Amino acid sequence: MNVQVWIWRWLVTVVLGFGAWVTARLDWSRVAPSWEFLLLALGRSWWLALIAMAIGIVTAVPLALLRVYGTPWPRRLVALLIDAVRATPELMIIFWVYFTLPIVTGSQVSAWNAALGSLAVIASAYLAEVVRAGLYSVPDTQREAARALGLKSFAVFRLVVLPQALRNMLPALIAQLVSLFKTTSLVYAIGVMDFFRAVSVTNNAVYAPYPLYIVLAAGYFVSCWAITQVVRRCDPAYQLLD
Amino acid sequence: MDWAVLWEYRAALAGGLAVTLEVSALAIVGATVVGVLVGCLRGTGSYLLQRLTATYTELLRNLPLIVKLFFLYFVIGLPALPAALAALVLHQSAYIADVTEAGLRSVGRGQLDAGLSLGLKRWQVYRRIILPQTVRVMLPPMTSQYVSVVKNTSVVALIGVTDLTFQTQQINVETFRGFEAATAVTLLYMLVAGVVIGGMTWLQRRQTVR
Repeated sequence: MNVQVWIWRWLVTVVLGFGAWVTARLDWSRVAPSWEFLLLALGRSWWLALIAMAIGIVTAVPLALLRVYGTPWPRRLVALLIDAVRATPELMIIFWVYFTLPIVTGSQVSAWNAALGSLAVIASAYLAEVVRAGLYSVPDTQREAARALGLKSFAVFRLVVLPQALRNMLPALIAQLVSLFKTTSLVYAIGVMDFFRAVSVTNNAVYAPYPLYIVLAAGYFVSCWAITQVVRRCDPAYQLLD
Repeated sequence: MDWAVLWEYRAALAGGLAVTLEVSALAIVGATVVGVLVGCLRGTGSYLLQRLTATYTELLRNLPLIVKLFFLYFVIGLPALPAALAALVLHQSAYIADVTEAGLRSVGRGQLDAGLSLGLKRWQVYRRIILPQTVRVMLPPMTSQYVSVVKNTSVVALIGVTDLTFQTQQINVETFRGFEAATAVTLLYMLVAGVVIGGMTWLQRRQTVR
């Protein structure tokens, strides 16, 4: 056991050391002037993910409520909509909103709005399932006990079910943000200047694939890893594992 | 709206469907093999293996698929199809490793102890007791993993693999009939996902204890 710990530490040191050595030896002079442009683009990716997430939560809650408490027909319709979005590739949804919405509605959509719209659609469908699972995670006895205490059904939902459901779904909610952040890299395909596109544009201008690739991987890894760490903080199950 | 364009491009769409099916099938097999292997190694309890496999999943889960794909295609310089397959396998195997590990852990240690105390050999316990229970637990999450693989194959269009998504763009560029093409292709994707879900449901039903 102890030997393995030392081997692991040695391995990490060697790999990190080698990585640092390679990174330092690369020619950063051509990439360095673009740092502001790249950082701004990373911020834009974050912004895109956060707004889409916010819109997603706002629409996901009514969708989930309809799916759990609705009458049969709205319930089936909502289930169909959610499943249709979840079964369609994210890239196809982005193309749908950007290329085919204008044909249907007759008005042009800007790439940024199309990206935001498609990400919001994706977020709402997936978050609706998260919210639904959260609602199911609250035992029925809680609702029955609250009813027995004389609370009205809306008060039961607002004061008893929702707070517990929210607490249970928080980790899954934040995990969905990681997934959404990774999905933002696909809007590159319709020309939004997100982090991915910014890196490839910079590469086309100065041709420095290796340093830029390190920047690209580091940008996405650090962002997603930071969100994951937040999940670990607020999820007791994760803390038990570590 | 002009649905005739679909008939005109039927060969392209059929070809795209074939490529999507081929890439999906190969990626599903590859990701399952690699993912289950990594998950099992992680469950062995060896500190070193646990750390190595945890790094593997952590690294791959926190990078978008397209970043891995472009790395393999543009930086390493693999041809399009192997790069696409390798990226899909790397991406999904990280998730499948987590599913495997959770499945193994769900079959508590008590089962192993009970089997051993009944006089079974260790491999018999794994073969007859642990494995069937683990597979049963793993099937539902694996279904969503496989559907993810099918959906993720659409990204390979960005490096020029002529799959369904690629053909959609092609039709859109040549005829401006993006709406018709996207509708048809979306339905085809749903069909493929439906086949995957159907197959997995069938397996699940076979695995259920009656």
